[in-house]
Amino acid sequence: MPPSPCALCKVNRALILRPKDHSKLCKTCFITVFETEIHHTIIANALFHRGEKIAIGASGGKDSTVLASVLKTLNERYDYGLDLILLSIDEGIKGYRDDSLETVKRNAEQYGMELTILGYEELYGWTMDQVVAQVGKKGNCTYCGVFRRQALDRGASRLEVKHVVTGHNADDVAETVLMNLLRGDLPRLSRTTSIITSTPSASANPSSNTNIKRSKPLKYAYEKEIVLYAHHKNLDYFSTECIYSPEAFRGSARALIKNLERVRPSAILDVVRSGEDMAKLVPGSDEGCGGVCSSSVPAAEEEEGGCGSAQGRSSGGEMASVEAQLRQNDAASEHNLETEITTAGGNGSGKQHGRHDSGAAPLSTAGKKGKKGFTPRKANKQVMGRCKKCGYLSSQDVCKACVLLEGLNKARPKNSIEVAYEVQDVSVNSIKDELKKTSIGAD
Amino acid sequence: MPGKHVAGATAEPCRRCKDNISVLVVRSEPLCHDCFARYVHTKCIKRLETFRVNFAAEDQRRRILLPLSFGVASTTLLHILDLHLKTQRSKTGRTGFVIHVISIQDPEESLPTDRLLEKTRENYPDHQYASLPLHDVFRLIPDDASLRDLVPEPTGKQNLAPGEYLAHLIDSLTSATARADVLTTLRTRLIVEHARLNGCESILWGDSTTRLAEKTLAETAKGRGFSLPWQTADGLTPFGMNFHYPLRDVLKKELVAYINMSENKLASLVHESSPGATQASMSSKNTTIDDLMKQYFESVEENFPSIVSNVVRTAGKLEIAASTTSDLHCSLCSMPVPGGRFGIHGWGGDQQDGIDVQSAEGSSRLCYGCTRSIPQASRKANGT
Ligand SMILES: [Zn+2]
Ligand SMILES: [Zn+2]
Ligand SMILES: [Zn+2]
Ligand SMILES: [Zn+2]
Repeated sequence: MPPSPCALCKVNRALILRPKDHSKLCKTCFITVFETEIHHTIIANALFHRGEKIAIGASGGKDSTVLASVLKTLNERYDYGLDLILLSIDEGIKGYRDDSLETVKRNAEQYGMELTILGYEELYGWTMDQVVAQVGKKGNCTYCGVFRRQALDRGASRLEVKHVVTGHNADDVAETVLMNLLRGDLPRLSRTTSIITSTPSASANPSSNTNIKRSKPLKYAYEKEIVLYAHHKNLDYFSTECIYSPEAFRGSARALIKNLERVRPSAILDVVRSGEDMAKLVPGSDEGCGGVCSSSVPAAEEEEGGCGSAQGRSSGGEMASVEAQLRQNDAASEHNLETEITTAGGNGSGKQHGRHDSGAAPLSTAGKKGKKGFTPRKANKQVMGRCKKCGYLSSQDVCKACVLLEGLNKARPKNSIEVAYEVQDVSVNSIKDELKKTSIGAD
Repeated sequence: MPGKHVAGATAEPCRRCKDNISVLVVRSEPLCHDCFARYVHTKCIKRLETFRVNFAAEDQRRRILLPLSFGVASTTLLHILDLHLKTQRSKTGRTGFVIHVISIQDPEESLPTDRLLEKTRENYPDHQYASLPLHDVFRLIPDDASLRDLVPEPTGKQNLAPGEYLAHLIDSLTSATARADVLTTLRTRLIVEHARLNGCESILWGDSTTRLAEKTLAETAKGRGFSLPWQTADGLTPFGMNFHYPLRDVLKKELVAYINMSENKLASLVHESSPGATQASMSSKNTTIDDLMKQYFESVEENFPSIVSNVVRTAGKLEIAASTTSDLHCSLCSMPVPGGRFGIHGWGGDQQDGIDVQSAEGSSRLCYGCTRSIPQASRKANGT
């Protein structure tokens, strides 16, 4: 095949097959186009305002490193007037963050940005190593995930920064859309498709009303292009391999996204678009804009991708437990259906068909809009309130992190307890069950 | 259903009748032949409560259309409905509705549609049967200007016959996914039009739970998330036609078991490639998004049937957009496009500011998903 010229400048030799649309570009044009698209995203969504102090959630991985590099470039090129700093979280897993934190420290020098590293120890009173020692290897991913979701906000709040940007890319968002369809979690699907979310300050003072804004400038950037950009710009990043496996649903959704991308390169973007459109159709959603406009919606306990970049080591255990939960719900709603029909009996509406057939599915399954009262589950519009303990946005009285901390602190032999409050008699296992219930029940 | 032996049978007694030996385990319940058949029938018939016997005059009886693809699902649906009407007739002397069966010949003529349809008619002689070539969609749809404008006719050739235009359209599509997508969409349009022309009030589709879940994720992946409220729901659709999915509570694997256990006569009417064939073609360039989702959910339903039905239930909870007005619908798939956001430009994920949204349109206006399937270059070359 003869060398083809770059589709944009028509001068240089094309060396890059652009993953997003398979156009053939030279290195310079690829870098320009990649940066310009992120600039476009920032401007079209009015992500920043002049003089704003922005904390970049930095892990040393490719996404956040590219984000830091591009934001620095654009801030200078287009004179955004932003004060950019790096914020890293140390989970406190011995050896795990050593290399990535070293990378972040080098990045801070390379980009001339101030860096703050905050540990779980400082934020929660527990390192992940201590959590593992307490609850064992199994199930600690729950803790890691829940703590991680709040860590950046809590950290930003300490630094008095009101806006945190994260490296979530188009693949992550698409994956989350499919994952939440598979889990049946529309409220979460709706929240996570937004480019901007906000959470009330996670300061210890619940009356504090300052919101922490979160945004994802790489929301429309393909993971493959982020890797290409990092490579061609010779960026210094660390390939994080998480030591914990992702949830089965996420692993499953991730595999689907990869396959979809192979079949149709635009599919990642198309799923993101579908997610934005569906967000507007979620009942009780206040998200009229579906993440298109720049008004803020609550981020709350949104899915943040568990433990980062682990690939396909999903166990299926999570799917099995959701399956069991759904079956229980079905059995319960079927039972309700039986009683309902029995009590409502005699209104003569077509009962000749075998509803005594005990294996029949509940009428509440799909499609029958207008039929009501068959489902025992709460409508669950996920009214967002504040966690009573920490003030973090939560659909429950007490947020997940505080529930977990409660269990941990209860079990810790009379060490200092971060927040003193009435402790219920709950074992760590029952807390895990509790958490599972809250996440599955959101249907 | 006189029994054939089925692999995986247990020696346990049937959990329902307690009399017979079970032949398979359905959602962790061991069932005998008869109880399994009753299980499938009940799930289907329960969905048809709106079609009870009414005592209208013979010529005013409700007509429903059943699209028959000769696959496991639509064949089973016909079989169950036929039984159902026979039962109604023996009990009341009448039936709740009249069945019209339609089968669409695909352009590749991969199935001997007419011969299969004749064989089906011999087995279920009480119904009306018809078959149409897919290209009739260009002949039958009254406002076919926008359909005929999907891709420009080749230079020097005008007024192509419907069959030629369909071949030309398919040739100009650049991927297997796009071809499958456009063919399915045209097939639906033709079936709806046939239903209308024959005075049918509803179309009864054979889609299983598994198929509806596949469709939910496939349409999401094709950028049609906006249309999900209409993709799997029972009731009135934007076509102005009622859609019903009586097998929505039955899994694909349960339908396969039903066919396998049935008399040979029913099985001989089914012509569907085996699940293995889907697997084999998965690596090839001809894989489509629909294939991917089919393969995915056929594996999920093995161990997690409730997750499959929950996907469908979840999609059913999406509400119809308030801003939807009937005149802003897609020229190809007919779905209402909220806010008239046609095409793939002018949203957050589109980085090309410079493109004038109007200029990419001919007389047809396509939704996001359909725009992905129809090649842009040829549409623009159409000259507006
Ligand atoms: Zn170039
Ligand atoms: Zn809290
Ligand atoms: Zn039995
Ligand atoms: Zn369309």
